[in-house]
Amino acid sequence: MTFLGYERPDGSYGARNYVLVIPSSIIADEICHFVAGTRTIVTPMDATSGRSKSDRETIARVYVGLGLNPNVASVLLTPGGGAGGAQYPETAIEKLASEIERSGKRVEVLDIGKGDTMEIIGRGVKLAREMVHEASKLRRKPCPENHLCVGVKCGNSDPTSGIAGNPVVGYVYDKLVEAGGTALFGENTEIIGAEHILARRAVNNTVAQEILKVALETEERAKSIGQDVRTINPVPANIRAGITTLEEKSLGAIYKAGTKSIQGVLDYAERPEGRGLYFMDNWAWTFSIFIGYAAAGAQIVLYQLGGGGLEEDAVFYQTGSTVAPLIWCSANPRTQVLGGWNLDFYSGTVIEGKETVEEVGERLYATILDVASGTMTRTETLNHIDPNEVYTRDPVF
Amino acid sequence: MKKALVMSPMDNVATALEDIASGEQVEARLGNKVETLEAREDIPFGFKIALTDISKGESLVKYGEAIGKASQPIKKGFLVHIHNVEGARGRGDIAKGGRIP
Repeated sequence: MTFLGYERPDGSYGARNYVLVIPSSIIADEICHFVAGTRTIVTPMDATSGRSKSDRETIARVYVGLGLNPNVASVLLTPGGGAGGAQYPETAIEKLASEIERSGKRVEVLDIGKGDTMEIIGRGVKLAREMVHEASKLRRKPCPENHLCVGVKCGNSDPTSGIAGNPVVGYVYDKLVEAGGTALFGENTEIIGAEHILARRAVNNTVAQEILKVALETEERAKSIGQDVRTINPVPANIRAGITTLEEKSLGAIYKAGTKSIQGVLDYAERPEGRGLYFMDNWAWTFSIFIGYAAAGAQIVLYQLGGGGLEEDAVFYQTGSTVAPLIWCSANPRTQVLGGWNLDFYSGTVIEGKETVEEVGERLYATILDVASGTMTRTETLNHIDPNEVYTRDPVF
Repeated sequence: MKKALVMSPMDNVATALEDIASGEQVEARLGNKVETLEAREDIPFGFKIALTDISKGESLVKYGEAIGKASQPIKKGFLVHIHNVEGARGRGDIAKGGRIP
């Protein structure tokens, strides 16, 4: 099967054709307010200030990774906090630019030059408009599905997630991996209690040990604060919907990873070296996880929603992915009623006994190819872009 | 007859596929195998019902795996949730030398 994608100089294919404006700052935000077809990562202006070297490297990996994402046509780097003078070496604009330029994409660094912030914004708007116009000349063309990379989060989980929603995603992941594509799953807390099952599926013993280490280290961090993890995760909405322990949540959550062997463990926002199924050591939070997947190269991200603990549908307005369209899926009949048109995909027919996991999985796979080819997701019809938080781990100073 | 789903032959709980009221008969299905039991209290959609008598400290099994331990005896047909089950993982409250609350 194929999808209609934008061919990039590095041989990848995009599902969208954005001009990315980074790093985050008032300058980047205002350029994106004015110029259609642009995206920026919305984080605090000076995201690196007072952070460890390791965390600054993570932030740089997110910026560079988003620039390399196939959904991005070209990149405009703008001055952020501390720029124009002293910068941390890891996130220096020139360094970010040269790493993205290796993809062969057009990369521009906005000249701070003379003038105040408003004048810099004005220059950025002019440059971004010209870049968007140039990008628009590119046409989609058929490309093999093995160029697709998809990331998934299961959120607001309830028992329908483990019974139907995640197994449907798992079917899609198996199909994508069989076709030669790349499938990313993660959430380091939500494998605790199920890590032994994932480790058995690792491609080799090294990867198996890495999976076990992620679970162990995450559990040790949780224990170090002296609380029962159940008072934190499963979150109250999970418990209200019938999930009793973290182990139960994890055992249902891993169904989304299908049945294929796990090729490796990725750090947050790290790009996989090959294709196939990968586990990312990330935090489950919506506003963190999706930019991590997009920075790793995902053109499409899935939010597999339980929703049994929801009281209203506001959650559907979260977009959380910056450059990768977010497909909202749910297997909960009640969530379908609450979400209505906002829900992109409903897999609850499995629970209703009307369709099998395989039948619904085939429909979801087709939906993904449709979105990859240009069909908008429901949240893409909004101009709203959520703020994002890069998953950093060290204390701040 | 109300419906519940069993995920694995080793499970001692089933997940309610619809709201079940106390006293109603429940059909717990695993593939073609169906077991019938009576709900001894209300089991809301998505919540778990005990398929057997479970003693205190015994593991609750769903998906063929342990999801936690019974913090009190649970009789067949009763609701299985946080009031009678505790997690075994991530117990920082115990690691610090405290007792299970």
